[in-house]
Amino acid sequence: MPKYDIVVVGAGNAGMSAALQCQLLGLKTLLIEKHNLPGGAATSFVRGRFEIDPSLHELCDYGPADNPGDVRTMMADYGVKANFIEVGECFRCVSTYRDGTPMDVTMPAGIEAFIDKMEFYVPGSREKMTQLFDLFQEVLDGIAYITASRGNPDKAVLGTTYANMLKTGAYSTQEVFDALELPERCQDILSTYWSYLGVDMEHLAFIHYAAMVHKYTSRGAYILKHTSHELATAMVERFRELGGDVWFNCRAEEFLFRGEHCCGVRTNMGVVDCNYVLANINPDIIYGTMMPKELVPEREKKLSAARDRKIGGRMYTAYFCLDCTAEELGIHDYTIFLPGTADSPTEYDNIMKGMKYNNFSIFNCYNIANPECSPPGTCLCGFTTFGSPVDWNDLKQEDYFRFKEEGIDKLLANLKEKLGFDLSGHIEEIEICSPWTFARYLGVPEGGVYGYEPRDWDGMMARMQMIAYDYPIKGLRPIGAAGPRGDGYAASMICGRLMALNALLDLKKWKEEGGKA
Amino acid sequence: MAKLNVTISADPRIDMMKFATMAKVREEAIQAAPAKEVSGVFPINENAKALHPDYLDLVVDSIIDRGEAQAKTFVLRRKDGAPLPYFRAGQYISLKLPLEGSFVTRSYSLCCSPKAALEGKYAITVRANPGGFAADRLLAGLKVGDPVISSGPQGFFYYEKLRDAKHVVGLAGGSGITPFLSLAEAIRDGVENFSLTLLFGSRDEKNILFREELDEIARVCPKFKVVHVLSEEEKEGFEYGFITAELIKKYAPEGEEFSVYLCGPEAMYRFLKPEIEKLGLPERLFRRKLIDVTKTPWDCEGYPQEARGRSFTILVRQGPQEWTIPASADEPVLVAVERAGIKAPSRCRAGECGWCRSRLLSGTVFIPQDNEMRRWADVHYGYIHPCCSFPTSDLTLEVPGEFF
Ligand SMILES: Cc1cc2nc3c(=O)[nH]c(=O)nc-3n(C[C@H](O)[C@H](O)[C@H](O)COP(=O)(O)OP(=O)(O)OC[C@H]3O[C@@H](n4cnc5c(N)ncnc54)[C@H](O)[C@@H]3O)c2cc1C
Ligand code: FES
Repeated sequence: MPKYDIVVVGAGNAGMSAALQCQLLGLKTLLIEKHNLPGGAATSFVRGRFEIDPSLHELCDYGPADNPGDVRTMMADYGVKANFIEVGECFRCVSTYRDGTPMDVTMPAGIEAFIDKMEFYVPGSREKMTQLFDLFQEVLDGIAYITASRGNPDKAVLGTTYANMLKTGAYSTQEVFDALELPERCQDILSTYWSYLGVDMEHLAFIHYAAMVHKYTSRGAYILKHTSHELATAMVERFRELGGDVWFNCRAEEFLFRGEHCCGVRTNMGVVDCNYVLANINPDIIYGTMMPKELVPEREKKLSAARDRKIGGRMYTAYFCLDCTAEELGIHDYTIFLPGTADSPTEYDNIMKGMKYNNFSIFNCYNIANPECSPPGTCLCGFTTFGSPVDWNDLKQEDYFRFKEEGIDKLLANLKEKLGFDLSGHIEEIEICSPWTFARYLGVPEGGVYGYEPRDWDGMMARMQMIAYDYPIKGLRPIGAAGPRGDGYAASMICGRLMALNALLDLKKWKEEGGKA
Repeated sequence: MAKLNVTISADPRIDMMKFATMAKVREEAIQAAPAKEVSGVFPINENAKALHPDYLDLVVDSIIDRGEAQAKTFVLRRKDGAPLPYFRAGQYISLKLPLEGSFVTRSYSLCCSPKAALEGKYAITVRANPGGFAADRLLAGLKVGDPVISSGPQGFFYYEKLRDAKHVVGLAGGSGITPFLSLAEAIRDGVENFSLTLLFGSRDEKNILFREELDEIARVCPKFKVVHVLSEEEKEGFEYGFITAELIKKYAPEGEEFSVYLCGPEAMYRFLKPEIEKLGLPERLFRRKLIDVTKTPWDCEGYPQEARGRSFTILVRQGPQEWTIPASADEPVLVAVERAGIKAPSRCRAGECGWCRSRLLSGTVFIPQDNEMRRWADVHYGYIHPCCSFPTSDLTLEVPGEFF
């Protein structure tokens, strides 16, 4: 069995990115993945004559060539090539304003266009919206600065260059909106994006929200021409080209330690020795099931207890392969948000109360952004909502199939009622994925693909500032959506890269200390 | 960018110090929590594992000899009799069989009601297949109490309310009856709710598999009806000949949309394809069980005839291991891997499930069009499904690991 500098466990977005970065840094890297294909959530499946992307609606932070985002830059650095397609408009949202009037808005990409359209829906909002976007920009720059400083920013620079970020950074989005005196309807329209982070506006840090909305509006959103599996395969093949090894259907069962140093991984394909492990696995799973209990640091036990299983994004989705075109069904938008109301705390609570109360869904029609994603004369659509442990914890196997179908039936009825889209009589293939499905394929707790909720004290910026404290185990760092940058393709990839760089620093340090490596 | 002066600086609710204390606030929240042992066990994940195990360790509970139908039903259970993963009527399991130094997989439709799983039982029926490798060995060798390794339930040949018509016309031939028995029992048991009219082709009356079971379900369950179609015997009470478009129309519900499900041998599928086209059904109303990989790839369109009958060498890699093995152009790559005794994953053996997905590092293969169901990027980057890829040169192949 060869020995590796680094073993990356799990070829999710974070794992693939980490593996590429490690190999580029000249570390001998092994990437293992418990499934027989890479990507984690970034994957695809085939049903009949269709290939379906189960996760990606909108890749944040890719951007056009003349305004590249972090993901575009990262792919260029890694030498990964894939066919990215811009999605076009930001979203349509059909819901109810908090004042009770019906909402049906379509927001375009591009900051000016976004502000113009907001002025159209909420006359007189231009000035406040402009201020808000300026603030977004500053926040974004500030985060980039803090990321570059690896959690050690110069306080003086922060205080002068990023003063407004400092002012707003510790507050919830709702608090900042109120302080800015943003018109309520503007707030309602802007709140649409909350579900991408899984925390309602009262508990979601402004800084996190600001960064995301600014990136989507300024750089647009992207998808892959041939599903996320295209990107995952491109990343893995590039990693091989750089000299990395990839083992599929290889599952890490246990992390091995020499003293307090992680020094290997036991897998179904044997024991692999290494100097460092980057694990694309949720920390609760690692500490609870994959390493000796006595080696789990006190602080990590406390961190886990403080988070108290506040898992984000327990996905509940359905995919429809239809034997007619989007045009024939009257569908013209790529992403349509269909929350029960624009009041995000209420929506959040209803989701947590289970499908009986949950009125939230997102409807996508992939052909609008990517006309060739399905055979001529057909189209591909999908629903996304969230599951609650109330429904899925104690559900019996014999009720499972019917239960997951009934929830989607409800969303279909809602779609017909609110938008007049009637999919019945056109469904050629259908697949429904519940939190059980995501738990099965990703191994994430409760099928939650957003890691821990970036809620209140555990927001993204607070995590970023504490990177130096959050990884006390020598030679083992969890990476992924549960990490400092939170959920999403972009955040997970950035996290993977960041931790690869940290691993290199650790290895260098130990070498200098004459210890390990 | 012009520096803005956000008016919130004047807002008394905004405290500038708060940013500086963010990390402190977080640390306090963490320190206030108890240092209790982390549990990595989540009910949703446990449920998912129970429903989709890596493998099932089963034993043969009992055997029913089907006499002149030349088949045996094997009832399987766990050693301790605990419930088995629930399934959707029409799904199959893939057995992992250690036969003569090889590990081979064979899929069998579950031919029992999903309710049986709750009682800890699965039933499969194996029909004789003279000249085949596994079926006859199972029929001759498998005894009560023998261990059997199986996958969990698999496949997409099941009723889906949101997609299918309320009435299904089933077309079965030979051992293709097995999933329909499961569907019929599921309807009888109230697990499924649709009408099934089954046209079942057999050679002659004594050759009909599950005759009594099917007739009994039809007797007690008004939603299920079976029509026996005999190809070699003309007899009162039976249809004679082959299943045709005419016959389907004769028994299909009138003036009502219906779905057609087809499960039978390759020859039946080839015969029925044009017949079904005559019905003019949209694709969504026609479901068929997988088409087995052809035994005669050289009859397929596009086959490079010069490869036929040749012998090749495959360099197989699996993680840190490596083997050089012989292969025949006339057999799928998976068979060569199995013959060599290598444990590599596979399930459907028909190109559909993707379980066998492997990286072709060098060499060329032929893939019959009927079994080409790979993802776009897999085609683009050279991943193949060895179960339905025939070697047409020497190969270097990287196969995934296994879990048993
Ligand atoms: C329905 C849905 C819609 C989404 N929409 C979007 C969107 O529009 N935009 C966006 O940016 N994000 C979206 N996301 C979120 C995004 O996909 C995730 O946040 C992100 O991909 C998480 O990446 P990750 O690296 O943390 O891990 P994962 O994708 O969870 O990958 C972890 C990998 O590790 C492997 N693994 C786990 N345990 C082991 C082990 N013991 N041994 C070996 N391997 C192991 C797993 O098999 C998996 O491949 C969506 C997700 C879903 C499911
Ligand atoms: S075993 Fe299913 S695709 Fe090969």
